[in-house]
Amino acid sequence: MRQVLRLLRRAVDALRRAPLVTAVAVGTVFVAVLLTGLVAALLGGGERLLAAWAGEVPISVYLAPAADLAAARAAAERLAPGMAVEAVTPVAALARLRASLGDEAALLDGLGDEVLPPSVEVRAPGLSLGRTRELAVRLRQVPGAVEVDYGAAWLERLETLLRRARVVGIALFAALALATSVLVANTLRLAVYARRDEIEIMKLVGATDVHVGAPFLVEGALQGLAGAGLAVAALTAAAWALLPRLRAALPLAARLTRADVLPGALLVGLLAGGMALGIAASLLSLRRFLRRT
Amino acid sequence: MIQLFHVTKQYGAEAPALSDVSLEVRKGEFVFLTGPSGAGKSTLLKLIFCAEPSSGGQILVFGRNISRLKPSAVPYLRRSIGVVFQDFKLLPHRTVAENVAFPLEVRGLHPREVARKVAATLRGVGLDHKGSKFPLSLSGGEQQRAAVARALVGDPALLLADEPTGNLDADRTLEVMALLEAASARGTTVVVATHDRGLLARHKKRIIALESGRVVSDGDSIRRAAGS
Repeated sequence: MRQVLRLLRRAVDALRRAPLVTAVAVGTVFVAVLLTGLVAALLGGGERLLAAWAGEVPISVYLAPAADLAAARAAAERLAPGMAVEAVTPVAALARLRASLGDEAALLDGLGDEVLPPSVEVRAPGLSLGRTRELAVRLRQVPGAVEVDYGAAWLERLETLLRRARVVGIALFAALALATSVLVANTLRLAVYARRDEIEIMKLVGATDVHVGAPFLVEGALQGLAGAGLAVAALTAAAWALLPRLRAALPLAARLTRADVLPGALLVGLLAGGMALGIAASLLSLRRFLRRT
Repeated sequence: MIQLFHVTKQYGAEAPALSDVSLEVRKGEFVFLTGPSGAGKSTLLKLIFCAEPSSGGQILVFGRNISRLKPSAVPYLRRSIGVVFQDFKLLPHRTVAENVAFPLEVRGLHPREVARKVAATLRGVGLDHKGSKFPLSLSGGEQQRAAVARALVGDPALLLADEPTGNLDADRTLEVMALLEAASARGTTVVVATHDRGLLARHKKRIIALESGRVVSDGDSIRRAAGS
């Protein structure tokens, strides 16, 4: 315990002695973690928005003309508990079509009131694509059901889009992490370089590599943690400030929460990543100097 | 204490810095290593405290063949060797006491024990009132004495000094040499590299002379004086 406290004191003393280098290292980790967190938050939020968009699409169960609409509705409510279920008569369906056609509604003149089939519509806001597909399969059991439409083709395209966005996101994330690692490693190398005399003397008076390196690794960890902590604070503050505006501007984002864009696991990952980055960069820089003496 | 057998040291394609050097320094001896600049004095000291590897031959320090020493064992060997560097190698942003404490801290001694030994050593070199000062605020002689204090604080069995009086005036030279002789009197083996002929004349010790990386003479100053 005494050794650990001494190690921490040595690391903090060293950080205090070189405030400029410390500030640059912390700043670099801050920028690296902020950018990485921003990309992750945008991807997470974007995915959540697209999923919400998909959830806005109603699932329509088209019935045979002679089907019992009330019985079909009751069955749909049983199959989709807790979701909004609406029975649409042929007349109501035609009225909706007329309304949607607007000035072109006259095209429907002359058609009978029962030209469109009766149907049951299920709305499941916020439901994921997979769950929507599962629900559609279940709704085929509705008595009199002829066809269940949930915009399959459109949703499949959306799902493909999401999958690609995820791949691009991961590639972007990896490239960013690599680039920032190099940047942080170079900055921390400056910090180690600034103290090369100290390393040399410590080695010459009999310090082991562990004795010389441990404070640098602790310093790297502290700098990484400080930079990542600032980045996490900045990201949380940005989410806190921007989310209400986004929710007000975009109805789809109404249910978007801070946890959707910045989940706890991501924040912990960013803190741990920043610390690991600091340690790895210090280790890389140290190896070169330790070999010299 | 120190044995060298046909030791060579070559840097790249240049002429060898040391060539076929064989010598022995016994426990408790005080030895001057002399020769003109570039003769190989500093290189020889560096090989002895493992700052550099030799290119050939065998070096035994404390009976251990350092050519075969594992890198992880080098720090433990160095803890038995005190080194006074030509350029002092004092850290400017650490106080004199902190600089002197370095060899004890790396051994993991308790801070109280470190403080006690540092104070005693600084008193021994006449710098007890300068412990809280920074090296750059000291005179050249005081800096050299601080460097000697750092080399002595761990009670090393072997003390290597590379031109320890090179930057000092006559009075300061006497002070530093007195410290090295005191260490020798306590049983420490002392090897001093110097090109100062006055120093060799004043102190009647064994002298090993190097020239172009070779040992050209080895004997005590009295015999040399009688032979010349």
